[in-house]
Amino acid sequence: MSTSGPNPPGPPQVRSLNCPGCGAVLTLRSLSQAVTVVCDHCHSILDAQDPRLTILQKFKAAVDEDPPLIPLGTRGKIRGTDYEAVGFQRRTIHVDGVPYSWHEYVLFNPYKGFRYLTEYNGHWNDTSILRSLPTLNNDVSPATVSYLGETYRHFQTAKAGTSFVLGEFPWQVRVGESSDLSDYVSPPRVISSERTGKEVTWSMGEYISGHDIWKTFGLQGEPPERIGVYENQPSPLSADTNAIWVAFGGFMLVLVVMMILFWSFARSEQVVEGNYAFNTNERGEASFVTDVFQLKGHTSDLELKTTADVNNNWIYLNYALINQDTSQAYDFGREVSYYSGYDEDGSWSEGSRADSVVIPSVPPGNYYLRVEPESDFGHGTISYSISASRDVPQASFLGIALLALLIPAGLITWRSMNFEHLRWAESDYGSTGSDDDDSEDAGRPMSLGNLSGKRDDS
Amino acid sequence: MIRNLYILYGVIVLGTLGMAEYRGWSLDSVDEVKNVPRSVRDNPGSYRSVYGYYHHYTGGK
Repeated sequence: MSTSGPNPPGPPQVRSLNCPGCGAVLTLRSLSQAVTVVCDHCHSILDAQDPRLTILQKFKAAVDEDPPLIPLGTRGKIRGTDYEAVGFQRRTIHVDGVPYSWHEYVLFNPYKGFRYLTEYNGHWNDTSILRSLPTLNNDVSPATVSYLGETYRHFQTAKAGTSFVLGEFPWQVRVGESSDLSDYVSPPRVISSERTGKEVTWSMGEYISGHDIWKTFGLQGEPPERIGVYENQPSPLSADTNAIWVAFGGFMLVLVVMMILFWSFARSEQVVEGNYAFNTNERGEASFVTDVFQLKGHTSDLELKTTADVNNNWIYLNYALINQDTSQAYDFGREVSYYSGYDEDGSWSEGSRADSVVIPSVPPGNYYLRVEPESDFGHGTISYSISASRDVPQASFLGIALLALLIPAGLITWRSMNFEHLRWAESDYGSTGSDDDDSEDAGRPMSLGNLSGKRDDS
Repeated sequence: MIRNLYILYGVIVLGTLGMAEYRGWSLDSVDEVKNVPRSVRDNPGSYRSVYGYYHHYTGGK
C-alpha cells in the first residue's frame, strides 16, 4: 500500500435514488458498474442495473447490526490509486457448529475498477481479482498453486455463506448464498479460489497492517488489535532466521580462529613445580613458602594444579600467591579428597586426587607461594605436588561463548517455528490440540479471509 | 533488525571472549589481600589464610 501515487482523485461522483421498498434515499457511488445495491434502512437488495431498482431480496438485520470499520463513502489511496469504500459484507463459516465471521469491503475507482479489503480479527488483506489462472497441482500434499513463479501451499477449504451486506456490489449479491472457498498461502500473499456452481473466481490478497488502512483512509482511533497468527501474516522472524544462522556460522569460524590463536600464542609457562609431603602425625607449623618466581608478560592468569596421594582421606591447602614487591596476595584454599569403597550396589568412589584453580588477572612481577596444608591428625604422611603455569588459555570461556551465541539463535528459530506452528494449526493440516490455546490463535476459519461472490466485471 | 542486533551481540560476545582470554579472567574466585607482612617470606607462620581451619567434609558414601 502506498500513500502517494500518480492518479489524483476526482470529485466524488454519486447518484441519488430512492429505495422502492421504503423510499429511503440511496447513494450510488460506483454508478453503472454496480450490479446490486443494498438499502441500509429496509435491507432490500436491489437490482442496480434496473432503472426501477427491482427488489431482488430482503433480509432481516438489526439497525447498525454490523457497522463497517471503514464507513461507506470513505476514500483512501491504495498502491497510488484513490479508492472509495462502496460495499461491505460479512461472511460466515461454521466449524463444529460455531460460527466464525469476517468482513469484506468493496473498493471502487472509476478508472481502475474494483478491489477489496478483508478483515478478520484485526488482520487485513488487500485483494484483487487475478487476470490469469494459476496452475493447480493436486499431486502433492498439501496441494499447491503456482502463479507468477511463486508457489502457494493449500491452507484450508470450507463453505462460506454471506450473512450481511451493505452498499454496492459488482455482482448479484444475496444474503444466504454460499460458495466453496480454498486458500493457498505464500506469506505475505494468499491466493483464493471461490467456486459457486460451475464458476470459479481466483483472487490474490496481500497482507497489510491495520495502521496502514487507518492512515490511508484517515480513520479515527486505532485499528482493531490483531489476534493470533493469520494464514498469510508474514512472520516477523522468518527472514531473520536464516541470516542469523549464517551469522552464527561466521561467528563459529571466528571462534575457531580465536581458539587457534589463543592456544598458539599463550605462554603456558610453568613457573612452579614441586613435590611435598605432609606428616599428619606431627603437630607444629606446617606452612612454608616456595622460591620466588617471575611472572612475565602482560596481566594474565596463573593456573595452579595440585595432586595429592589421598585415599579415603583429604588434604586442604591454604594458598597465598604473594607479590614480593607490592605485598599484595591472592588468597585461596583448595581441598583434594578422594573416597572409595564397596557396598551392596558395588564399588563407588567420589572426589578426585587432582585439583586445578585459575587465579585471574595476575600482573607481572616477582611472586612466591605460601602453602599451608591441613588434614586430620594421625593419618600418616600425605604426598602432594604443586605446579603453576602462567598465561594458560581457558577452554571454559570458549564453551560459554559458544552457548552465548547458540542460545539466542536457537530461541529466535524456536519463535519462528512457533509462529509457523500457530499459522498452520488453524489450517486443514493443523493439529486439533491448538483449540485449547484461544489466546494465541487468530480463530478457526482464519484461512477464509478473502473475497467471495465477486466477479471480475472491470 | 533482529539479524543486526544478533550480529552486534555476537561481536560483543567474541570481543569479551578475546578480552577474557587475553587478560586471564577466571571463573574461580580468590581473595585479594593487600599489605601482606613482608616477614611472611622468612616466617610463613606469621600469615594466616582467611580460608584456614574451616570445617572439612570427611565423608564418603
